[in-house]
Amino acid sequence: MAAEDLPSEFDVVILGTGLAESVVAAAFSRVGQRVLHVDRRSYYAGDWASFTFNGLLSWIQEQHVSTSLLEEGEELICLSNSDSGSIRNVQVFCFTRWITDCFVTQASQTQGEEPEADRSQSEPAKKKINYAQLVKEGRRFNIDLVSKLMYSRGSLVDLLIKSNVSRYAEFKNITRILTYRHGNVEQVPCSRADVFASRQLSVVEKRKLMRFLTSCMEETEEQRAYKGRPYLEFLSDQQLGDNLQHFLLHSIAMVTEDTPTEEGLASTRHFLHCLGRYGNTPFLFPVYGLGEIPQCFCRMCAVFGGIYCLRHSVSCLLVDKESNRCKAVIDSRGQRISCSHFVVEECYVPANQKKVATPSRFVSRAVLITDSSVLHSDSEQQVSLVTVPPIAAGCPAVRMVELCPSTMTCMPGTYLVHLTCQSVGSAYEDLSPVVTRMFRTPESHDRENCPSVLWCLYFNMADGSGVEVEGHDLPSNVYVFSGPDGGLSHERAVRQAESIFNKVLPDEDFCPPAPNPEDIIYDGDTAASTGGEDEKQEKEGAGGEEKNEEGEAGEEEKKEEGRAGEEEQKEGAGEEIHEKEGAGDLAE
Amino acid sequence: MSMEDYDYLFKIVLIGNAGVGKTCLVRRFTQGLFPPGQGATIGVDFMIKTVEIKGEKVKLQIWDTAGQERFRSITQSYYRSANALILTYDITCEDSFRCLPEWLREIEQYANNQVVTILVGNKIDLAEKREVLRQRAEDFAVAQSMLYLETSAKESDNVEKLFLDLACELIREAKQNKLDNSDTAPMPGEGKTISYLSCCSLN
Repeated sequence: MAAEDLPSEFDVVILGTGLAESVVAAAFSRVGQRVLHVDRRSYYAGDWASFTFNGLLSWIQEQHVSTSLLEEGEELICLSNSDSGSIRNVQVFCFTRWITDCFVTQASQTQGEEPEADRSQSEPAKKKINYAQLVKEGRRFNIDLVSKLMYSRGSLVDLLIKSNVSRYAEFKNITRILTYRHGNVEQVPCSRADVFASRQLSVVEKRKLMRFLTSCMEETEEQRAYKGRPYLEFLSDQQLGDNLQHFLLHSIAMVTEDTPTEEGLASTRHFLHCLGRYGNTPFLFPVYGLGEIPQCFCRMCAVFGGIYCLRHSVSCLLVDKESNRCKAVIDSRGQRISCSHFVVEECYVPANQKKVATPSRFVSRAVLITDSSVLHSDSEQQVSLVTVPPIAAGCPAVRMVELCPSTMTCMPGTYLVHLTCQSVGSAYEDLSPVVTRMFRTPESHDRENCPSVLWCLYFNMADGSGVEVEGHDLPSNVYVFSGPDGGLSHERAVRQAESIFNKVLPDEDFCPPAPNPEDIIYDGDTAASTGGEDEKQEKEGAGGEEKNEEGEAGEEEKKEEGRAGEEEQKEGAGEEIHEKEGAGDLAE
Repeated sequence: MSMEDYDYLFKIVLIGNAGVGKTCLVRRFTQGLFPPGQGATIGVDFMIKTVEIKGEKVKLQIWDTAGQERFRSITQSYYRSANALILTYDITCEDSFRCLPEWLREIEQYANNQVVTILVGNKIDLAEKREVLRQRAEDFAVAQSMLYLETSAKESDNVEKLFLDLACELIREAKQNKLDNSDTAPMPGEGKTISYLSCCSLN
């Protein structure tokens, strides 16, 4: 395709297409700023990306270049424009061959970093899925680098609804919350219906749990008395018993044993507040994976005139010495592009310009492709959040998300399992003990009732919450976004985007609703539109470039969107129902 | 404005090089306009037109690239859940034809397996400037098992036909799918934006 030149003047230039950068791009473009959004990679979303199986293999190869040269006890400091160093300790294991002929010794597992491609390809295809099939069906996988969920009343869902970006994606409910306890996977009853239906709770426990869940919604004197003391202490003084205490601490509040009470209560309330908006759990997951979400915001930016260019970067900033402001950038093709503001992902900032050169914290991640669910149920198509408390003192709590094929993230007959925790050691050190306890691998071949791991990947990713975004030695109109953090929610990225938007344009609305395409009246061509067949075109277009169609329906919708209420799903226009259909249906 | 009085709702997505006339095709079909007012494309996500085919109301939701094709930066999510793709090139521009394999690779990667693809050679009003022979394009379309049509958004040649043919094909497939109930089809009412099965269940 012809290498067209970019325009040379923009209001905002944004480098990196992660979630926060994409949200802010949409926000700027939406209010009329001219946005140039580039990413040096050939794909969207950076460390937030999701890949097909084959795409992931290429990504692993890319990481391999830098990480394979690293020796024990060494650290990598990358210079700008080479890879950021946000990823390290990449290890891949393929067990498909081991599974197909189960008697094989440990020798068949590769302890290296290469998938066992050639060896497993020659395997007879019994019922088990082999490596060749994973590759062949590779495009059915959408494997996220980041594993998060969307709180149904969290800031991301609110923003998607408010801005109408939700129309670009489809969502599914997380169908159950599970926890790992005494060597078993159990379902956590969290909604009222769950509590009553639960078979693992006694009648007394049910009553206690309901009473607790109701009472903790309001702040009481008693709760205040525990301020600063561990939530665990508060819970145990409620005489709830071991079962309930475990559920409440690890699966509902999702905090550690020494989290202070006020924090524990706050997250318990947030969980309960999100329950029931769309279903029986507080969480949604986007069909095709989380990597879709940044792209959806990019589309919104483009729809409002933002210009997109992948495989393109910014090599220098031109800074006015007097004002210490960035006046222009030089792109990777040597073109000068002037801009009033420059937004950049942290990993592009050269080390010598940073306050702290390397990320201070890492997240440990594992991705498994398995052959069955960790907890069988009537439905094969469950999407589960599994909380795994520390398996021994000093170990991190692990969060696990198990996705089924109907989320369009894995091929039929498989499950995609994401494990995440704060790094203590390498991802393999942190997570493989959990994997061998809960799954069947060559190291845990006697666990015959557990799902078998067909393929797995371990890696560490820089924790965005441990990354400094301020205080760098940079011009005043350059804004830095950190990469993804290790938390479950998207709160941080959305807040970052909003705060930078407000800093730059304090008087503008952040992501106001985009007009519904059915409500737009086109002008400018009134002369030519006399033959307009559609009843909509009958209305003469006045003034501005677009207008809401008059009439009750249009007006009502706008009001509802403003409030971002759920009514929108029921009463909004046809399109809106479709957008949120997955969620809407499940709300029944 | 009642939105739900249709029997089918299909998402149609346009792709192809910049400048081949994608937006013109959509605007010609949905509004009968040519050339489209450039200003008004800002903020327009997709266009809608409801057509009637054999007594059935079919609502077509037609999505344009929002300019992201200019630097080959279309989001994958753009292809998701499209029922049909209109792959467009300009018959007066050899380069736009030569890029088709690249577009097909993207389709293969990101679009639904069952997506209906039609190849469209636009700008036949500029016959004297033609660079791509009809036969060549037809052969290419056959080899890639696509439908093929030549259009002029300017003269409105074959534009109606393009969208109506697609609608017919989509209805046929939808009916077939219902019969087959194939396991590759999405689960009814689950996370599918525009699913055949949900059209009727809308309130």
